[in-house]
Amino acid sequence: MLFADPLFGLPTWIDAIIRIVIVVLVMTVFVIYSTYGERKLVARFQQRLGPMRTGPWGLWQGFADAIKLVGKEDIRPKNADRWVFELAPYATFIPVLLTLMVLPFAENWGVRNLALGVFFVFAVLGLNIVGILMAGLGSGNKYALLGAVRAAAQMISYEIPLVVSLLCVVMITGADTGNGVGTLNLNTIAALQEDRPYILLQPLAFLIFFTAMLSELHRAPFDIPVAESEIVGGYFVEYSGIRWSMFQLTEYASMWGFAVFGSVVFLGGWAWPFGVDSHWALQLATTFTKALAIVIVIIWIRTTVPRLRIDQLMNFSWKVLLELSFLQLIVNGIILYYDWPQEILALTSAVGAGFLIFLIIRHASARSTKGLLGTYRTLGASSS
Amino acid sequence: MSIWPEERVHALADDGFETVDMTINVGPQHPATHGVFRMVLTVDGEKVVDCEPYIGYLHRGLEKLTENHDYRQAMGWWDRTDYLAGMACEMAYCMAVEKLGNISVPLRAEYIRVMMVELSRILSHFMFFGAFGADVGSFGTSFIYGWRERERIYDFFEEVAGDRMFPTYFRPGGVQMDLPENYQDRVRWLLGSIRQGLEDFDGLLVGNEIFVERCRGLSPVTPEQAIAWGLTGPCLRATGFKFDLRKDEPYSVYPNLKFDIPTGANGDVFDRFMVRMAEAWQSTLIVEQCLDALSQMEGELVLNPDLPKTLRIDSGECYVRTEGTKGEYGVYALAKGGNKPYRMKLRSPSFCNLSALREMVIGTYVADAIIILGSLDIVLGEVDK
Amino acid sequence: MSKSLAPKPIDQVVKLLEQRFGKLLVTINQTATDANIDCPPEHFRAVVEELKNHRDLAFDFLRNIVGIDMLEEGLACKYQFFSYKNRQAVQVTVLTPPGNPHIPSITDLYPAANWHEREAAEMVGLVFDGHPNLKNLLLDEDVRIHPLLKAHPLQKAEILQGIEDATPGFTF
Repeated sequence: MLFADPLFGLPTWIDAIIRIVIVVLVMTVFVIYSTYGERKLVARFQQRLGPMRTGPWGLWQGFADAIKLVGKEDIRPKNADRWVFELAPYATFIPVLLTLMVLPFAENWGVRNLALGVFFVFAVLGLNIVGILMAGLGSGNKYALLGAVRAAAQMISYEIPLVVSLLCVVMITGADTGNGVGTLNLNTIAALQEDRPYILLQPLAFLIFFTAMLSELHRAPFDIPVAESEIVGGYFVEYSGIRWSMFQLTEYASMWGFAVFGSVVFLGGWAWPFGVDSHWALQLATTFTKALAIVIVIIWIRTTVPRLRIDQLMNFSWKVLLELSFLQLIVNGIILYYDWPQEILALTSAVGAGFLIFLIIRHASARSTKGLLGTYRTLGASSS
Repeated sequence: MSIWPEERVHALADDGFETVDMTINVGPQHPATHGVFRMVLTVDGEKVVDCEPYIGYLHRGLEKLTENHDYRQAMGWWDRTDYLAGMACEMAYCMAVEKLGNISVPLRAEYIRVMMVELSRILSHFMFFGAFGADVGSFGTSFIYGWRERERIYDFFEEVAGDRMFPTYFRPGGVQMDLPENYQDRVRWLLGSIRQGLEDFDGLLVGNEIFVERCRGLSPVTPEQAIAWGLTGPCLRATGFKFDLRKDEPYSVYPNLKFDIPTGANGDVFDRFMVRMAEAWQSTLIVEQCLDALSQMEGELVLNPDLPKTLRIDSGECYVRTEGTKGEYGVYALAKGGNKPYRMKLRSPSFCNLSALREMVIGTYVADAIIILGSLDIVLGEVDK
Repeated sequence: MSKSLAPKPIDQVVKLLEQRFGKLLVTINQTATDANIDCPPEHFRAVVEELKNHRDLAFDFLRNIVGIDMLEEGLACKYQFFSYKNRQAVQVTVLTPPGNPHIPSITDLYPAANWHEREAAEMVGLVFDGHPNLKNLLLDEDVRIHPLLKAHPLQKAEILQGIEDATPGFTF
């Protein structure tokens, strides 16, 4: 399905190619500058300056890195499986690129407007794992193998809560469309949030989505497939030069993809708060501001928290997130069936979100009471 | 496809899959090994079945070098053992030479030494907090937090001794020279900054649910096990066993100073972290008392003036032990005349703590093995001599 | 366990050891810091078992093992023990005859001895009978030199840097 009339009345396939080229080019610049931005931001969190030498405030650092990476030797280990090893970066990169095809950046701004947009995104993202497993197995490296197997286990586990949390939103859209049938079209989902973003109705679903998203992106605290201090980069440990940079490109592209996706589904996309009739530039700015906020939070979390262990990671997915997401689904169903007001929807979900936050920080109170945690400061007082 | 020739894929057994344990080589170039240390892990999936540590990549022949250098010259090598706390090593070395040669040390020098050693202890512990946070996976932020205070202490060391990591400031019979004029203000400001740094670490790591969950209950060690394996220092005290050479076999001016020996309860990784946290706090109290004592004896001698140009020790044998930053830092010295020691042996705490690594990591996850290694706080310069 | 005990003076430890080991073929004296037992290799196991197991001695902690090349006297091995229970320290010196550097291993009594014995074995060439894994620890595994023997040559540059005569300073 097309978003709108083809550009300049061109044939639809030429129109599609132009739109894809624009998206890919813009995304590449975004990736280059989000590496720069991440380094700057992390540096600030760590009381450093970050890149400062390449251009004013280090602005050309991203391009310098890109040139360096392209110029590097493309090394293939002797015991690597040649074709599996060399094709793996493409197998991870292409699915991520495909997800960008259905995202509505503003009203009618995107490549294609699929009726099953949400479904498409997850159908395609599920392929990502094939490339990661190819990289892990093909490298002939045990760290890579461990990383790939960890990644596979993790992505399979977290995909379920992720999808269920989105289903919760899709259910609610049924109440908004008027005909009682929900929609999977991302453009419509964004337009339906003209009055209020769905995060207000479904804070629990958003928390679950955000957590599972961090895990799908292999971002801290779920970065165990790439854990630098344990398996030194995981599945892409043997890659160098342009192939390594394709993994980096994948990482940042999927980060932006997920950020735009999250902002469309939960934060009102281009429609909230300026309405569906606002100017396209304002809509574009709205979407990217929201996506940027999500990206910054991701980076913020990355600089702050340590890494989970594999069993804790699995427990959190299967024993906490999965149950809560299904609970949310059932509660939504009951409320929507009896046509109760949406305030109840928001309230129940907020209670669930509060419970999830309590689970996550429940040991924080132990700081002041247990063992050495709160007492080391006062140890001196007893003796001197 | 067979990636690893030594591990052939086993045939499917009648009752199901037959699995093969995989060996993973960690190090000598690995971010979690804190230098050049290598361990070969045998893993069954994510579980560690066996671990074989290999050391010696940083072996510089410390003992042989010491045997072939003048008593004063050799001290420079000893800085480079525990290179995170060079002064603590100098302290042990100088005490050994003084014990052999019956050399007395002026009181002011003793206080200066204790102050510098305690600052080194803080410095080393800050490095531990930072590196350990990075091991647990906090992306370098803890590292930088640790480095902030370290740099400030190093600046002070540079002002005192002219070098940051390897000051070679102590001498048999005292210290090289007196402290700079403004040291009282400098160190008191430093102490405030250190305490703030400890609070920051408390917030960043100890206040973090994931950190606590990762560390608590991991590789618990009982006091009996710790003694049998030869664990000393914070690793021993984390088990709840209250033993600190500064209190229990007191040396230098430690009997005059008031401080506590923090102990843990379970001997797990978390307790090892917290014991170091509390120890750093106690060290700030010791430094404060040293400053007070030093202000009472301004202008006194800091180096025994009766020493000859070349130290010659006819005979003697001693085993001097001090509470180093990682544990019992012992120096065995044997003199048989001349200006060089006949034999000097370092009993390095990291070496002995590391020898217990195998027992600790078996049965844990790969990620935990890295943390346990980090919690021992090894310094490879000291392990490999 | 938690109360802080004062370390026992050396002469008391010496007296205690004389009571225990008076009949054995060992001599007891003291160094600048510790009591010392000079003991031939054949009695070493018995002495260490007694040190570890006797109630008044209870040396539960092996601090250190030092291997020393005593030139024509043979190789010496010094063990530093400590008792956390009684707060006393002792050193056991074993002097092996030249050409026969065999000492029974004590890794079964003190697990901490494992690496110490490996180090002493590679550095001066002692042989610890009964050690489970007497490979090189700090040196390369296939190297068969013993660098801490006095006969092991230093490199020329190092000799030049050391002070050969009484004048301090470098002689290049």
